[in-house]
Amino acid sequence: MIVAVALAIGAFLVVFLVVPIASVVYTAFTSGDGGFTLSHVVTFFQISLMRESFWNSLYVAGMSVLIASAIAVPLAYFTVRYRFRGALLVQTLGVLPLIMPPFVGAVAMQLLFGRSGSVNLLLNDAFGFSIPFMAGLNGVIFVESLHYFPFILLNLAVSLRNIDGAMEESAQNLGTSGFRLFRRIVFPLALPGYVAGASLVFVKVFDDLGTPLVLGVSNMLAPQAFLRITSVGLEDPIGYVISVLMIVFSVAALGLAARILKGRDYATLQRGGTSLQKRSLSPMQTVAAYAWIGLVLLLVLSPHIGILLISFTKVWSYSVLPEGITLAHYATVFEQSSHMITNTLLYCGLAALFNVILGTAIAYIILRTKLPGRQMLDWTASAALAVPGVVLGIGYLRTFRGLELPFTDTALTASWIALVLAYTVRRLPYALRSCMAALQQMHVSLEEAAENLGAAKLRTIRRIVVPLMAGGILAGFVTSFITAAVELSATIMLSASASQAPMSYGIYLYLQSIAGRGPGAALGVIAVVIVGLGTYASHRLLQAQSTAGEQRLVNT
Amino acid sequence: MAKVKVEARGIELSYGSTRVLRDITLTVEPGEFFALLGPSGSGKSTLLRLIAGFAQHQAGQLLIGGNDVTGIAPWKRNVGMVFQNYALWPHMTVARNVAFGLEERKLPRDVVRQRTDAALELVGLTGYESRRPNQLSGGQQQRVALARTLAIEPQLLLLDEPLSNLDAKLRVQMRQELLRLHRRLSITTIFVTHDQEEAMTICDRIAVMDQGVIQQIGTPIELFDHPVNRFVAQFVGSLNLFEGNLTAGRFASPTLGECELPPSVERAARSDVHLAFRPHVVRLNEIPDSDGLRLEGQIAGSEFMGEFVRYEIRVHQAIVIADQSHARGADRIADGTPVRLSVPAGELRVMEA
Amino acid sequence: MKAYRQVVVLAAAVFAGAALADTITVVTSFPKELTSAYKAAYEKKYPNDKLEILNKGTSSGIAFVREQPAGARAEVFWASAPDAFEVLAAGNLLEKVDIPSSGIPDKIGSYPINDPEGYYRGQALAGYGLMWNTRYLQAHKLPPPKEWADLTKPVYFGHVATSAPSRSGTTQLTYETILQGEGWDAGWTQILQIGGNSAAVTERSFGVPDGVQNGQFGIGLVVDFFGLAAMASGFPVEFVYPSVTAIVPANIGAIAGSKNPEGAKRFIAFTLSEEGQQLLLSPKISRLPVLPAAYAKAPAGYPNPFDGTIKAKVNFDSALSESHYYVVSSLFDQIITFRLKELQAATKAIQDADKRLGGRQSKELDEAKRLAWTAPVSAAQSKDKELLATFKSKKGDDATIRRRTQIEEEWSSKAKANYARAVELANAVK
Repeated sequence: MIVAVALAIGAFLVVFLVVPIASVVYTAFTSGDGGFTLSHVVTFFQISLMRESFWNSLYVAGMSVLIASAIAVPLAYFTVRYRFRGALLVQTLGVLPLIMPPFVGAVAMQLLFGRSGSVNLLLNDAFGFSIPFMAGLNGVIFVESLHYFPFILLNLAVSLRNIDGAMEESAQNLGTSGFRLFRRIVFPLALPGYVAGASLVFVKVFDDLGTPLVLGVSNMLAPQAFLRITSVGLEDPIGYVISVLMIVFSVAALGLAARILKGRDYATLQRGGTSLQKRSLSPMQTVAAYAWIGLVLLLVLSPHIGILLISFTKVWSYSVLPEGITLAHYATVFEQSSHMITNTLLYCGLAALFNVILGTAIAYIILRTKLPGRQMLDWTASAALAVPGVVLGIGYLRTFRGLELPFTDTALTASWIALVLAYTVRRLPYALRSCMAALQQMHVSLEEAAENLGAAKLRTIRRIVVPLMAGGILAGFVTSFITAAVELSATIMLSASASQAPMSYGIYLYLQSIAGRGPGAALGVIAVVIVGLGTYASHRLLQAQSTAGEQRLVNT
Repeated sequence: MAKVKVEARGIELSYGSTRVLRDITLTVEPGEFFALLGPSGSGKSTLLRLIAGFAQHQAGQLLIGGNDVTGIAPWKRNVGMVFQNYALWPHMTVARNVAFGLEERKLPRDVVRQRTDAALELVGLTGYESRRPNQLSGGQQQRVALARTLAIEPQLLLLDEPLSNLDAKLRVQMRQELLRLHRRLSITTIFVTHDQEEAMTICDRIAVMDQGVIQQIGTPIELFDHPVNRFVAQFVGSLNLFEGNLTAGRFASPTLGECELPPSVERAARSDVHLAFRPHVVRLNEIPDSDGLRLEGQIAGSEFMGEFVRYEIRVHQAIVIADQSHARGADRIADGTPVRLSVPAGELRVMEA
Repeated sequence: MKAYRQVVVLAAAVFAGAALADTITVVTSFPKELTSAYKAAYEKKYPNDKLEILNKGTSSGIAFVREQPAGARAEVFWASAPDAFEVLAAGNLLEKVDIPSSGIPDKIGSYPINDPEGYYRGQALAGYGLMWNTRYLQAHKLPPPKEWADLTKPVYFGHVATSAPSRSGTTQLTYETILQGEGWDAGWTQILQIGGNSAAVTERSFGVPDGVQNGQFGIGLVVDFFGLAAMASGFPVEFVYPSVTAIVPANIGAIAGSKNPEGAKRFIAFTLSEEGQQLLLSPKISRLPVLPAAYAKAPAGYPNPFDGTIKAKVNFDSALSESHYYVVSSLFDQIITFRLKELQAATKAIQDADKRLGGRQSKELDEAKRLAWTAPVSAAQSKDKELLATFKSKKGDDATIRRRTQIEEEWSSKAKANYARAVELANAVK
C-alpha cells in the first residue's frame, strides 16, 4: 500500500516536475541536429550582456538579502527580547507583504517612491532634491527587500524563541554583555533560522520575474530568460541556458544553506526551560521602538496603501495624493472579472489541497517508513523550490505540447489544469516543510499506542496522525494557497484564456491598459482582502488548535 | 582563590503582586559549601539568580565580599554559575566554551589556553577539547559546565540544581566530585537543590526555604535533630506527625487516639499541637524503656528497602511508619500481625501547629 | 491518492463540458477595455458563440501560437504590428479569409490596409505620436514637443520615455517610421539622441503611456489610442501626431489549424462591420476605424485620417520594415536598451560641452557626437543579405546562433566603448 502511494507520488513528481525541467535542460545542451553541445553555454558567457545580467542578478539577490536582513534582524530580536505590545504589529508585518504579488506592489511603489512619486515630490518641494529609490537595480532591491524580508523575520523569530535563556545568562555570568553577547552567543544560536530565511530570500529574488519587468529592468537573468524565450521564440537556446543557470544557482544557494545548517539544529530550549528573558523598555525606548516599527510598517504597507488609494480614485498623476474618489473601478471588476476571483479560489484551493495530501504522505513515508529511496521524494519535491516559475512554465509548454486531456479535445497546456498542476508542484516544498515539522514533533509512541490498542496502519494514520498534524497541515495549506494566489511567473506562461485566468493574471492584464490601473488596483485590493482574511482565519484556527505549526508558516 | 563572604540582609523580591522572596537574611561564610534547600516554588533559585545578578531585589541589601552588589550587572560580578541544564553553547567546541569567559576578560591568548587546559584537567576532561557539547554524555556536559565556570576563577560559585539532570548513580558520583573539588579549591559555594539527601551529604550548612521565607539555617545535623517547625522536620528526613491536644500528660488525637506521654516530655496543657518522631526510632515488640511512648497496632503493609524494612502500622485511625533495620535471613512481619510500638522519650517532640 | 485522481478526472470532465460550446479563442495584445467591449457586443449578437480572449504581448502571442499543434490552435490573432502577421504568415500559421470588405478602402495614404496576399485584414488604424504629462512639463518648465526631432533637444534630457522595438510591435513601427522618414543613418542618429534623452527604456510598450500618465516620465513615444484614451479617462496628458508619422493598420487574421475556422471568420467579419467599427470610438478605446463611414458617429474633434485631420508624410514600406525587423530590434537593444546608462552619460556630457562652448565649434565634440550617435551598422550594411539572414533565421542551428550572438556582442561592446570615449572627449572640451 505504502509502496504504491510512494510510487504514485514519485510518478507525479517525475511527470510534472522532473520531465519538464529536463526538457529545458536538454534544450540548453542540444545542438540544432540533436547532439550534445556545450556551445550554447559558451555562447552565453561570450555575451557581455549575459555576463552583466548574471552579475546583476547575483548583486540584486545579495543586496536584497542584506537590506531584508537589516529590516528583519532587529525586528525579530526586538520582539523576542523585549516586553511590549508590538508583537501583533510585527506578526502583521510578517504576513502582509506576502499576500500581495510583488509586481502589484511595484506599481504602487512607483507612484509613492518613483521619480515623480509622492515622496520625491515632497522632498523636491521641501529640499529641492529627490532620491532615486526606484531607479534601475535599486528599485528592484527596494521592492524585493520589502516584499521578502518576512521570510527572514519569521524564521529568525522562531529560532530566537527556541534559544534557552540559560544560554544567554551563562554568557553574561562569564562576563559578556551588549552587542558582544548578541554577536557571540545569541546570533550564532539563531543562525539556522537566519540562514533558512536568507537563502529563501536569495532564491526568491534571484527567480523573481514580475518585479524587474514592471520596473523596466531587463539586464537581469529572469527577465532575460523571459524576453529571449518569448521574443526570439522557443528555439532560442540562450533562454534555456539562462533557465539552467538559474536552477543551478538556486540549488547552489539552498544547498549551501543546507550545508551550513547540517548538524546545527540548535533548538536549545528544553522541556521546562525558559526562553530568552524579556526585558522591559524605558518610556523613551518604547517611543523609539514604536516609532521605528511604525516606520517599517508604513514602508511595508506602502504598496497596500498605494493600491487602495488607486482603487478608489480617478486620477493619480504627478501629485502627492490621487484625486477624485470613485467606486467605479470596483463596479468594473465585479462586472468583468468576478470569475477570476472564483478561479483563484478554485485553482489555489485545489493546489493547496493536493499539496497537503502529497505533503502529509511524503512526510509520513520519510519519517515513519524505511522505504528505500524515500529521501529521493523529499529531495525531488524540495527541488521545486529552486525551479523558477518561468522555467517550469516553459518546461510545461515544451513537454505537454500536443497532449490532450482525456475525453476532451483541449490541450493540457491550454486548460486551467496546467495551472493547478504548476501551482501544486511549485508550492509543494512549503506544504511539505510544514507537514514534516508537524510529524517530527509528534512522538512515534503516540502511533504505537494506537497500534497496540488494535488500530491498523491506515486507521492509525487517519485517527491519530492526521488529527495531530492538523496544525501543520493547515499551515501548509495556507502557505501554499497564499503563495499560489500571488504567483505570476508560471501564471503568465500558462494562462490560456481570460475566462480561465486567476486573479493574479487579471491584475496583470488590467495593469496593461490606460484605463485599467484603477480596476487592476481594485482587483488587487480584493485579492489582498481575500488572502488576508484566509490567513487571519487560519491563524485563529491554528491558535485554537495548537501552536506547533503556526510559527513554521514559512519555515523551510 | 579568594574566599568571600556573602550576606543577605532583609531582601524582598516580588513579581507584581507575588512575593517571591520575603525578608531573606543569611550569611554564607568564606569558603563554606552552603545549600539552599526547598521544594519548587520556594524561591531558592530566585535567590541564587539574585546573587548572580539575573534578578533584582526591591528591598534589602546583598553583599558579596563586603561590597553591596545591588545594581551591578551580571557580567561584572565575577560570580560563577553552573546552570541546571548546563547551558553549553552548541555552536562552540568544548575548548571554546571553556575559554569563553577568559576571552571576554581579554586575557592574553596563552593564558587563556593554559587556564582552559587547567580547568579541563581539573574536571578530568583533557582530550575532549575539540568535541561539541552534543557529542558528550550528560556527566561530561556537567563537567564542561563546571570547568567553564571555574576557569574564570570566580570569587563565588553558584550551582543551580547541577545534579538534577543526571541518573541516580552518576548523581552520587558527581556529588562526591563536587565535594572533592570544593575541598581542593575551597571556594565559597552556594548550591541549590530540592533533594535533602544531596544537601545533607555534601554541604556545610543548609538554609531550608519555603514560600519565599527562610525557615531555618543550620548544619545538616542541627536541622535533622532540631527542626524548628513542622515544615523543616518533614522536609529534612521522614517524620511521623500527629495532630492533637495536650491535657494533663495525655495526648489526645483524632487519628492516633489517646496516649500517655512520658514525663520527660514537655507536657503543659495546650491545644492544636503536633506529636512527632522519626520512623527509624520506633521499636517494635521490644521491652520498652520505662520512659517512652507506648502504642499498639497492627501491621498494615511493609516495603523492603534493603538496609531496612519500612512498616506501615495501623494505630487507631492513624498510620505510623516504622523503619526496622534488616538482618540477613530475617523475615518480614506478616500483614495483620498485632504489634507493640515504643518510642524513646528523647526522640519525641511536641511542636506547635 | 485515489481521491486525488478522482478529482483530476472529474475536473477534466467538467472542463470538457465547458469546452463543447462553440468557442472562439482570440490571441491579442489589445487592452481589456477593447476586448471586453468586443466580447460583450459579439456574444450579444451571436449567443451561441463563446469568445475567449487570450491576452499576450505580441511577441509572446506569436510564440504561443507557434507552440501549439495544428488542429488545437487558437482561432484569431489580433494585434497592432503588421510585422507580427508577416512572421505568422511566413510560418504558415495564418489562413486566408474571404470576407467582403464593403466600404473599407484599400489603402490609407500609400499603405495598404489589408494584406495584399489576403492573410490578414486591417481592423483599425493607428498613428504614432507624442504624449506628455501637462503637470510634469509645467513643473519642469518644459515646452510641449511637436516633432520626433524635438525629443533630441537637450532640454528634454532625462524626461523622455520609450519602449524597445524588440518588446513592442508599436514601438518597432514608431522607430521604423523614423528610419524610413529620415533614412537609415540620420534616422539612427535621431533615435540615439532620443535614447540618450530617455529616462528609461520600458519593458512593455504600455510602460511608456503608463509612466507618462502617472507622471514618472514627462514625454513618451506612444501609439495614438494610448494617448487618446488617457485624455478621455481624465488624466492630465496631451497627445499630438508629429508631421513625420505613419498611419498603419492594426490587424486581425485567422490562425491556420484552428479548431473553429468558421467562428474565426464570423468574428473577423463582425469586427469589420459598421457595428464592430463603431465600438472603436468609445472614449476608453479611442482607436481609428478603418471604415470611413464609422466616423459619422464620432465625437467632435475626433481625428480622422480619411479627411486629412492627420497627414502621414511617410510612405511606409512594410516589406522593408519586415526585412530588417530583427536587425533593428536587436541593434536597438544592444546599443540603447542594454546600454542606456552609458548612452545617457555620453549624451549628458555632450550636451554639457555644447553649453560650455556656447555655439563655438569643436572638433573633439563633433567626434564625440559622431561616436555617441552613430549606429554600428551603416545603411549599406543594413541591406547585407547575410546579416539579414543571420537574424531572420529561426532555426536553432549552432553556427547561426553563434554568429548572431557574436554580432550582437560586437555591437554591444563597440557601443560601450564609443560611449565611454564620447564622454572623455566631451568632458575634455573646455
